[in-house]
Amino acid sequence: MPIKRLFVANRGEIALRIVGAAQALNIETVVAVSDADRDSAAARLADRSIVLGPAAAAKSYLDPRLIVHAAKESGCDGLHPGYGFLSERAILPRLCAQHGIAFVGPEPDVIDALGDKLRARAMAGAAGVPLVPGSECVASAADARREGDRIGYPVLLKASAGGGGRGMVIANNGDEAEAGFHKASAEAVAAFGDGTLFMERFVPEARHVEVQLMGDGKGQVLHFGERDCSVQRRYQKLIEEAPCAAMPDHLRRQLHESAVALAASVNYRNAGTAEFLFDVQRQEFYFIEVNARIQVEHPVSEAITGFDLVQEQIRIAGGADLSVSQQDVKISGHAIECRINAEDAARDFLPSPGRITRWEPPQGPGIRLDSHMSAGAMIPPFYDSMVGKLIVHGSDRADAIARLADAIDNFVVEGVPTTLPLHRAIIAHPDFIENRIHTRWLEQVLLPDYGKKAA
Amino acid sequence: MIAEKDPVIAAIDDARALLDTLLTSGWLQLHVASGETEIFLARDGGGTNPMRMIAAAPLIAAPAAQAGPETAVPVPHVATLEQALAAGTQVVAGQTVATVRVLDEQEDIAAPVSGTIVRVDAVPGVLLEYGATLLSIAAVA
Repeated sequence: MPIKRLFVANRGEIALRIVGAAQALNIETVVAVSDADRDSAAARLADRSIVLGPAAAAKSYLDPRLIVHAAKESGCDGLHPGYGFLSERAILPRLCAQHGIAFVGPEPDVIDALGDKLRARAMAGAAGVPLVPGSECVASAADARREGDRIGYPVLLKASAGGGGRGMVIANNGDEAEAGFHKASAEAVAAFGDGTLFMERFVPEARHVEVQLMGDGKGQVLHFGERDCSVQRRYQKLIEEAPCAAMPDHLRRQLHESAVALAASVNYRNAGTAEFLFDVQRQEFYFIEVNARIQVEHPVSEAITGFDLVQEQIRIAGGADLSVSQQDVKISGHAIECRINAEDAARDFLPSPGRITRWEPPQGPGIRLDSHMSAGAMIPPFYDSMVGKLIVHGSDRADAIARLADAIDNFVVEGVPTTLPLHRAIIAHPDFIENRIHTRWLEQVLLPDYGKKAA
Repeated sequence: MIAEKDPVIAAIDDARALLDTLLTSGWLQLHVASGETEIFLARDGGGTNPMRMIAAAPLIAAPAAQAGPETAVPVPHVATLEQALAAGTQVVAGQTVATVRVLDEQEDIAAPVSGTIVRVDAVPGVLLEYGATLLSIAAVA
């Protein structure tokens, strides 16, 4: 049954994005807010907003019972979790199902299976997806040394329940593998309450490439091309592009086929992203994980395909079939997104909440801004510091870079420091222009110099 | 639908939330400055208050916390009122005066003060947002 009233269980730019997509489909919206977000752009645009609890996320955006109660009692028949917060916690779709609300996302059992990296790896292997050479569960420091010797150094020790780089350690030899086991295990227990570790080959100069997927839950899965998210700092993406210009066509086809095969093997429903590590030297790609949600960087895929992925998510959750078939998905041009954070890059990316005093974004053909900010808007200190995403679409990569440079030059923000100047420096760097970057390029090459110039 | 909030109450709520954030983090200190307010919080070993380095400004007297004799009993999070003691009931601090529901779980709400319930403000069965007043108690003089 099509959704008639959608509950938005998120904040910031994605809450605004979801409200806009629902309105385009003539669906009513109710936005959940914390006390700090009463006055947010999404709350203003929605038909109704409901204050869940105080500013602290644990007492508002992270409490699934409060969210589902508010959704049910406000007469919502659908719920969109956005990204982050509870978007990949199976408890939310389970509660939704118990209370007759359609969850805009995958089945809870699929979220659970994909959220466990060891199970996800096994599922990928069973679907024929290339895996980075690695280990099963590692139980001791001695195990870590044995597995490291077998895989070949450098190796990465990773938390099974992990994400965002926490509980992750690089080891260059057997001694470091043993020491790394203790460190990663302790970090994993502290961050996730689960110290289970596994190991895999570490590729020093890898690109992060991911495939946008959309499934109908009945076995049909489409891809909307791939994205390259290799500009990262501490495993957090700063710039995302589509397509991955560094990947040859024959590998690109294999990448898409692998991602679709994995999602189809679990009858994947709704939007998801299969993430891969691309070893440019070996010309091989390896599965990393599946993110069972819409991602921050989805707009670059929308730009090059012309499809609205959030609207498609809402339609599928309402029981509709996929609105297109694979041959309708045509890739056109090149898109780049930069995440604008209220952070001071010259002061070790110190989050800088506060009030925006001037906000004059660039306009023009091929420019899109997804943001909940405006002049006078407050950035609360309780949540992440992203204030928006600037997306440009050009005829090819060079054209997109030129448009992005113009767009950043014409973007006026005052009141808080942002990462816009850093983005401008990144896209002007010869390594970025010639597309020689990798996931550690920003930290190894650009940032050390950037700090000096800023000082 | 935007509810206008008393700026003083909003500032106190912000301060409480910042304190929550500090105590649940591993941070030693937290310093937030906006156009309206500047707040410094620290725990043991958390450094010096940067505002003390500026010449001490004259203190502005805070408005009295409670203007009237009534104490509003707020709902602690979004919930639905199940039942409340009737207006006129004498209650003592800590006594259950109302029961709210989140999905199928019930939660008792205790009286913050002793006194007489003067009014049940919330309507049973209606969704209440965080901070909405459940009932009002006139404190014992």
